[in-house]
Amino acid sequence: MNKHYWTWPIVIDLFLGGLGGGILAIAMAYEFLYPGLGPAFAMPVLIAVASLGLACFFLVFELGQPKVFLRVFVKATAIIKWGAVLLSLALIAGFVYFLSCLPWDIFAFLVPLQKPALIVAGISGLLVMLYTGIFLASLKPHAFWNSPALPVLFAVSALLTGAAVAAATLGMWPVTMSTLLQALNPGVDAGLVAQEAANTQVFFQGKLQTLCMALIAVEAFVLLLYVFLLRGSGNEVARTVAARWLTGKTAPAFWLGLVVCGLLLPLGLYYRFGEVAAAAVAATVLVLAGGCLLRFLVVYADDRRLVPGEKRFFDRLPHHDAAFLTAWDDKESPY
Amino acid sequence: MTRYVMVMDQRSCIGCQSCSVACRTWNDLPMDIIYNPVVSEGVKGEWPNVHVNYTPLICMHCEKEPCTRCCPTGASKKDKDGTVWVDHKKCMGCKACVQACPYGARDSSEMAPRFERYAQKCTFCRDRREMTPGAKPYCVDTCHQKARIFGDLDDPESDVAKIIGSVQTFRLMEDYGTEPQIYYIPALGGQR
Repeated sequence: MNKHYWTWPIVIDLFLGGLGGGILAIAMAYEFLYPGLGPAFAMPVLIAVASLGLACFFLVFELGQPKVFLRVFVKATAIIKWGAVLLSLALIAGFVYFLSCLPWDIFAFLVPLQKPALIVAGISGLLVMLYTGIFLASLKPHAFWNSPALPVLFAVSALLTGAAVAAATLGMWPVTMSTLLQALNPGVDAGLVAQEAANTQVFFQGKLQTLCMALIAVEAFVLLLYVFLLRGSGNEVARTVAARWLTGKTAPAFWLGLVVCGLLLPLGLYYRFGEVAAAAVAATVLVLAGGCLLRFLVVYADDRRLVPGEKRFFDRLPHHDAAFLTAWDDKESPY
Repeated sequence: MTRYVMVMDQRSCIGCQSCSVACRTWNDLPMDIIYNPVVSEGVKGEWPNVHVNYTPLICMHCEKEPCTRCCPTGASKKDKDGTVWVDHKKCMGCKACVQACPYGARDSSEMAPRFERYAQKCTFCRDRREMTPGAKPYCVDTCHQKARIFGDLDDPESDVAKIIGSVQTFRLMEDYGTEPQIYYIPALGGQR
């Protein structure tokens, strides 16, 4: 039988997990590239923490028996266990990092933990990004998922969504760029700092937007290569799914939704109107929608190779909503 | 050591679905789950040279089962005799095992209450065998064609060991490398 066992909550979970992991990885990378800049990522990190928290919620919500969800940590051979561990680690470390950035005395004791927390959050975020792809790629029966390129595609997409959100929210409350520069250069005139802060903000937002453009190009390349290679592969199931993406039922969602609206349009917006706030926000929204759509398309591409005759058998069965299946729910059978 | 396997004799199977109904009855399955459907591609050939093949499907109780390895909760287990089963109290219903099974032998009922859904599968009637030592799965007892043969492959005197050792058999989708423990005697070409 080929029904969709994983549906929209898993799509949201994979998307939010990737987004959160991407933001944390980028925040860590920027702290290493530009020491001292890290706290300017406090708001993006808060968004990452919220995303990871929501991802955990959807993960539990999707379960058939959520009351035993704590058993997820039991078995070491299961990839889901490691995903749950990494997700929890990124969530906790990210939250500690955010609290340490708050300019409130009550959290001053966390300041020494700031950098270690960002490193832990960044590394676990990086692994969460990869995990979302590895998780699906490890499932051999699904030919469209079972490819080493899927973790790469998901990781690039996660980095892209993370970079887009970071570009849009960098230097927002609680650590604005002027607060950061003032703290780094005590004694310098506040007016000068404010002017420099505005320039710094534009500079780093520009850097992140350039990163977004590069990631869009990489994602488009990996995505098209992935789908076209599977279209020509020797595996019939993978070929069927790829054909469905390229020319079949899901072609409008793939070409118009993912390639045009999720990749090309934001690329154009970043390239041409990157400094216009409204355009940057629109590009961010499009990138996020594209990332979500990618997960949606992939999760629903769960076709499995069937035993000859299996499809014929299950096609002949009544669907789950056929009237007679539910006719005597909670009632005595009339027969 | 005991290693339970099942042989499906496609020469004898007439696709009556008695095994499916027996299984549904014994396991009290919800309407949207079938552990052992008997599938067919329909009539092949041209009159008068026509034939129909039936393939009874069931959990393959694989030697290298991917379903228990990907289960994070430890609910999916394998007995020493090779029986793969699910402890439904420990199953959190993530459906990773359902997705990992190449044979689609696991399912989770959508007709069960929303937060009481767990992975379900054939257990070679583990409960029945526990209740009555020596008992066979209900589908085997029900098959009037004797198309299902169950036994211990490690016992050289068992029917299954003799059949597998002497008759041409095949296993489904061996390329996945899971070493399924259900052997089929092909309808056309299998020696009688």
